[in-house]
Amino acid sequence: MDEALQRIKQETLARLKEVREEKELEALNVSVLGRNGALTEILRGMGKLDKEQRAKLGQASNAVKKELEEAIGARREEIAEMMLERRFAEEALDVTEPGKRRLPAGHLHPMTKTYREIRDALIGMGFTTFGGPEIEYDDYNFTKLNLPLDHPARDMQDTFYVNDRVVLRTHTSPCEARALLNVKPPFRLVMPGRVFRVDEVDASHSPVFMQMEGFVVDREITLADLKGTLDTFVHAVFGEEVRTRFRPSYFPFTEPSAEVDISCSICGGKGCRVCKGTGWIEILGCGVTNPHELENCGLDPREWKAIAFGIGVDRVTSLKYGITDIRLEYENDARFLRQF
Amino acid sequence: MKLPLSWLKEYVEWNVTPEEFVERMMWRGFETAGILEEMPGISGVVVGRIDALAKHPNADKLQICTIDVGGEAPLCIITGATNVFEGALVPVALDGAKLAGGITIQTTNMRGVESCGMLCSGKELGLTEADYPGAEYNGIMILKEAHPLGQPIQTAIGMDDIIFDIELTPNRADCQSIIGICREAAAALGQKFQEPKIRPVAGVGNTADYASVTVENSELCPRYAARVVTDLVIEPSPKWMQRRLRAVGMRPINNIVDITNYVLVEYGHPMHAFDLACVADGHIVVRNAYENEKVITLDGKERAVTPDMLLIADPEKGVGIAGVMGGENSEITEHTKATLFEAAAFKGSNIRATTRKLRHVTDAAARFIKGVEPVNAYLALERAIELVDDLHAGKVIGEPIDVCAADVSERVIDVDYAHVNRILSTDLAPERMVEMLGTINIQAEVCGDKLRVRVPHFRTDIESGIEADWDIAEEVGRIYGYDNIPPTLMRGNTFRGRIGEDLKDEDTIKDTLVAQGCCEMYNYNFTGPAALDALRIPEGDEKRLAVKLLNPFGEDQSLMRTTLLAGVLDSLARNFSRKTHQARFFEVGNIHLDNNPDLPEERKMLALAFSGEDENFFTLKGSIEAVLETFNMLERCTVEPGGGEYFQPGQKALLRADGEVVGEFGAIHPKVQKAWDIPQRVYYAEINVEKLRAHKGGKRNYEPLPRFPKVPRDIAIVVAETVTAAAVKEAIQKAPIEVAVGDVELFDVYRGAGIPKGKKSMAYSFTLSAADHTLKDDEIQKAMQCIIETLASQLGAQLRA
Repeated sequence: MDEALQRIKQETLARLKEVREEKELEALNVSVLGRNGALTEILRGMGKLDKEQRAKLGQASNAVKKELEEAIGARREEIAEMMLERRFAEEALDVTEPGKRRLPAGHLHPMTKTYREIRDALIGMGFTTFGGPEIEYDDYNFTKLNLPLDHPARDMQDTFYVNDRVVLRTHTSPCEARALLNVKPPFRLVMPGRVFRVDEVDASHSPVFMQMEGFVVDREITLADLKGTLDTFVHAVFGEEVRTRFRPSYFPFTEPSAEVDISCSICGGKGCRVCKGTGWIEILGCGVTNPHELENCGLDPREWKAIAFGIGVDRVTSLKYGITDIRLEYENDARFLRQF
Repeated sequence: MKLPLSWLKEYVEWNVTPEEFVERMMWRGFETAGILEEMPGISGVVVGRIDALAKHPNADKLQICTIDVGGEAPLCIITGATNVFEGALVPVALDGAKLAGGITIQTTNMRGVESCGMLCSGKELGLTEADYPGAEYNGIMILKEAHPLGQPIQTAIGMDDIIFDIELTPNRADCQSIIGICREAAAALGQKFQEPKIRPVAGVGNTADYASVTVENSELCPRYAARVVTDLVIEPSPKWMQRRLRAVGMRPINNIVDITNYVLVEYGHPMHAFDLACVADGHIVVRNAYENEKVITLDGKERAVTPDMLLIADPEKGVGIAGVMGGENSEITEHTKATLFEAAAFKGSNIRATTRKLRHVTDAAARFIKGVEPVNAYLALERAIELVDDLHAGKVIGEPIDVCAADVSERVIDVDYAHVNRILSTDLAPERMVEMLGTINIQAEVCGDKLRVRVPHFRTDIESGIEADWDIAEEVGRIYGYDNIPPTLMRGNTFRGRIGEDLKDEDTIKDTLVAQGCCEMYNYNFTGPAALDALRIPEGDEKRLAVKLLNPFGEDQSLMRTTLLAGVLDSLARNFSRKTHQARFFEVGNIHLDNNPDLPEERKMLALAFSGEDENFFTLKGSIEAVLETFNMLERCTVEPGGGEYFQPGQKALLRADGEVVGEFGAIHPKVQKAWDIPQRVYYAEINVEKLRAHKGGKRNYEPLPRFPKVPRDIAIVVAETVTAAAVKEAIQKAPIEVAVGDVELFDVYRGAGIPKGKKSMAYSFTLSAADHTLKDDEIQKAMQCIIETLASQLGAQLRA
């Protein structure tokens, strides 16, 4: 009997090593440990033995049964693991195949991105957005801003006229007049919008372009504040490493006036085609608001001071992204737009 | 403004490099557009002497020259010219030299003999006969005088000047003159400006015997100064004067004309010289033109003048249009014996109006428009007369005529220097300001808490009124240097910065559409009548109310857009022609309607344009729905057939929000596509952004999640073609059942085999649920029965077998 027991054990363990499939394993399990299995048969035959022998054999067969159950259980786990491995192999992917999207990626126009960046930098400094119409009174676009009808500087800006008192605004500065007439000072406003000039289209000129006017009215506000504000803006938009240069200039609506150059972001200031070898690129005009403008809009220039700046969004966009032809910004070539 | 360095040196001690000068001027508010050379683009050309000539062994027409250019060994250069001779001094272009037209000279082998450069003609050096006698001879330019060998050709022929091309801001009319710009240059270089002294010329005889002046309109002509010169010797002006005129881009003509031009450049004041014999009675009358009067100007053109224009006339006729151009009838010729030099101040705004009307701007007129001042007018006249005397060009008569209504007394202004410091954020002592202003010839003194400033006559830009403090602050600021003012952050009130709701919503729209795979367009605002026609916009439609420009680029850009469509189609057509056939675009931009006596109505519009294989009416509609959903208004929006003539009938729709039309969309009409030469279907929507915003949903509140499961059900029905999806959806939603129905979606529409003609099969999915319990089978059965009956009774729907 004992011998038979040992034989069953050896045979089963040997067969177990051969088993590769779950089904085979379960068949083996049944053939040994099942109701009609080999081991069960031996136990069944125990009735014929005496008590002592029965106890001895019972002990031995239980030990074998336990051992086999454990071996089959272990093999079952091994096979499950093998099955999983096999499935993984079958399901393995070429992960370098392209991703699938339901929709192509969309893109904001680079000018919108720039506009948002500038706007957000200014919002952080306490500016609030404000606006005015694209088609504007000559009075707001020029006269109120210290550019009366016969002012020679009117020729600086070639104007599209609708009639003798209505123009396409040549800058966002008429929003200053609208703010002065409608908003109670003190205030800090940022005024984005399209502006228009009679400029033939070429690589650096467009008859339609986008400006953002910054305008601060307060009791004490100085040229130094203007410099600080613009430095902060430039660093926010172009990065801390960019340097600024504040050059004296002239605008009828500011005095003193300045133009701000930034170190060329394309060559890093060494001089290239974009900065015409100077290492500097002009990005905006600014100044302390001319007292006549404040007076024309009903504010006492001895009581209130103002600073203003007009940023060319197209220009800043060109610089940020290295776009060398402004026409691309209005052609809407999908191959261009998809780059941003 | 062209400033030759040689001229600058007359007033300023030159102590820097040209580059440093440019930098210093920049910090003073004067940008330099470029540094020009008197002989532009020429380099590496030196004086050489031909020591020997020999025939080329392999070419009959070539000669081998042995040339001494002052170097250790003579050069061997081959020439085809025939006018060369031994001992001649010639311009020699060395290896690497640059010549006119961008040509570079290199050592070359010419028929077996090496030629280390080239002998130059005047033309190859960009020279004309006027620059150097013999320069236009067809052959090598032979130098007439002795020059050191190896000397640069520019130095040898006295053409080695450099010219600064300085850009002026419109407020500094005084710097549109050599003297004015040199005054600033001196200050920028920390030098004293050598103020020019004009030597007064005592005339002989009595001016009244020759000429007289009457100014009838002193408002338009505040000063008219003139002087008679007789016994004229008309001849070319001296070389130094010609050279300077050419350096600033003027063509020398004769001594008298050149003097007026020279004074224009030097003093910035336009002058004129009349042939006195052609002025009746020698009497100049400055008056407004008569009705229907005509003047033939120096350029030979007959010009109709009007009574708002100022004329220079004699008692019989006009002899010139004031400030614009002299008359042909009184022009200086080689036969002129006596002349009247005019230096007048005319009102800029009137000259501006005149040039606009005549459509003709001269150099002189441009100066008057920028602004001239009466003191300078008189100085210019005196300077011209001094030059006449220096050049022995004629006999100066009597005293100058000076009809002056202008106030030429010195202006004194009081400036609050503490205020100047406040504007600049500086802390400069008033004495320091006085010193700074002195460097640009503005004399000032400290009087208590004020600066008493004596405004020089040439600084018309410095005001006496409220602006005075700011004007002086600007001067002090730029002399002190903006760079020396440390930047500060704004103090005082704190502000909460924010983005306006309108712009925030615009951001949301754009971001939503980007998530829908759209690219953003920026199109121009201009359009034209032909585009409106091509869009099939009917007469009387509000889109015909386009704002018209008075001075457009052309007919096709003469209107402001009343729809974004034309611009979008332009851009689409461009993309298709560049082989991009699959794209989704959007644009947010303004349109304008001329429906208002004041300013036109401005509307912010959103355009969407989808095109490509996978796009159709419903892909477009899906993206519109995404925007509506973002604004929490999709449930309140309806769509019905309708829309503009640019859409294809049957594939166009109006979008309503809470019943109000906010936009339209559809397939572009094939005829419109054809007009733009667009080969593929385009689906387009245009939505009024402000109207859309007006209907956006309010704050969203949390709704408890359902505690009991929703039971999903599908249903397929057969209905007549005329039954709309919206009607079926509504019927399901509003069927009189006791349980809640939700998530009603159309998932399939089928026409064809098994469905009768004129009918379609529509398959819907929806859910049934109750808030307080799990639905039982009989409840579901009952609800389904009711929905089916409702569809049957309301829409004649049959359950599809």
